[in-house]
Amino acid sequence: MSLPPALRASVTPPELELIACQELVEIIPLIAMEKTAFISGAYGPLRPPHKARIPIWMAVNLKQKKKCHILAPEWLTVEYLQEKILQETTQDEFTKLPFRFAEISRVLLDAASDDLQNPDKLRSLLKDLREARQAKARAGLQSLEHSSLRLSNLSAMEINEIRPFFIEAMAVLGQLRP
Amino acid sequence: MNDDYFSIDAILAENQKVGCRFKTDIPDMGHLGGGGERDITRSNTLQLPIWLVYTVVLSDWADMIMPPAFGNKVRNALKAEPCSVRLASLVGAGGLWYGFGKTIMELYARASLTLLNNFQLLSNSLDDKTEMSELLTNTFRKRLVEVIDQAQHFAALGPAGGAGGSGDSAQSFREGLDGTERELFALAQEGSKRMKRWYEEGEKARR
Repeated sequence: MSLPPALRASVTPPELELIACQELVEIIPLIAMEKTAFISGAYGPLRPPHKARIPIWMAVNLKQKKKCHILAPEWLTVEYLQEKILQETTQDEFTKLPFRFAEISRVLLDAASDDLQNPDKLRSLLKDLREARQAKARAGLQSLEHSSLRLSNLSAMEINEIRPFFIEAMAVLGQLRP
Repeated sequence: MNDDYFSIDAILAENQKVGCRFKTDIPDMGHLGGGGERDITRSNTLQLPIWLVYTVVLSDWADMIMPPAFGNKVRNALKAEPCSVRLASLVGAGGLWYGFGKTIMELYARASLTLLNNFQLLSNSLDDKTEMSELLTNTFRKRLVEVIDQAQHFAALGPAGGAGGSGDSAQSFREGLDGTERELFALAQEGSKRMKRWYEEGEKARR
């Protein structure tokens, strides 16, 4: 195949970000707009003091033009993340988080950090969470088997990160069987 | 690592030399040993590539001597500490230790099918392919974590800090990586680099 080895097994983080941007987020618009049809569906109408649910890519676009405020999802708060980190470090299994939390949190923190409470704290909490989860994935590597792998509660970005070498390692283990 | 017909790795793994002790005289085949002798005589020991060993052993012309790469010494070292054994230096160019082991394992499998009790191994008690498989699997699994750890460590260093002395044992482990592990190392490193780049893009955009 003509693709480099690293791209054969998995998609790239920017591609995952693109997919994650299809998800909906709540905004408070600052402009009025009629209901508008897009390929993925019809969104709107936007009426300034009322909340609206639109895709993240559209919210980011409006935000950059200062035409809306993005409301953080309920999981993107300091308290929620702190609790998750506590669970993550005390339990053996991965804690449940939104499937695309890594992508969405990064996009929102980049585009709309002024709409979030305490963005720097959020960033460091997300980093802690990521590191705690990585340590668990590493521990799981020791008990890798050739046939199956349970990835309960692992997020899209994390699966994507470990996929290339996990499947390769599993293939090797399969080859080494008697 | 796979046993596909066109797999270069499989061909290289089959090219490893293994010692064979002949049980019968074979006339006019002395050139296989690379010497000037005309015939192969009984109880001569020759180094043959493993693709040839299949035929020689299965026809009961010779006994295979367990190659030192899987000998007692190496097995004991692997039992003690898998990460401190330099697999690459146990086998020749290309360093496909697992591939070599797998080929020997297949030889056992075929031998046990064709000539049940005739297949004996000198100099080694590792006469069971299950045991061989366990040796390979345990070694691979225990070294895997270290391989991935180091790959991620190097991905985090970035292009500038690659050569820095990060401890002798780590470096000697890297130099001793088998070809299969090397591939995994590259995969994990590339993946970590991409993640790092993606997270850093966001940080740059903020500044």
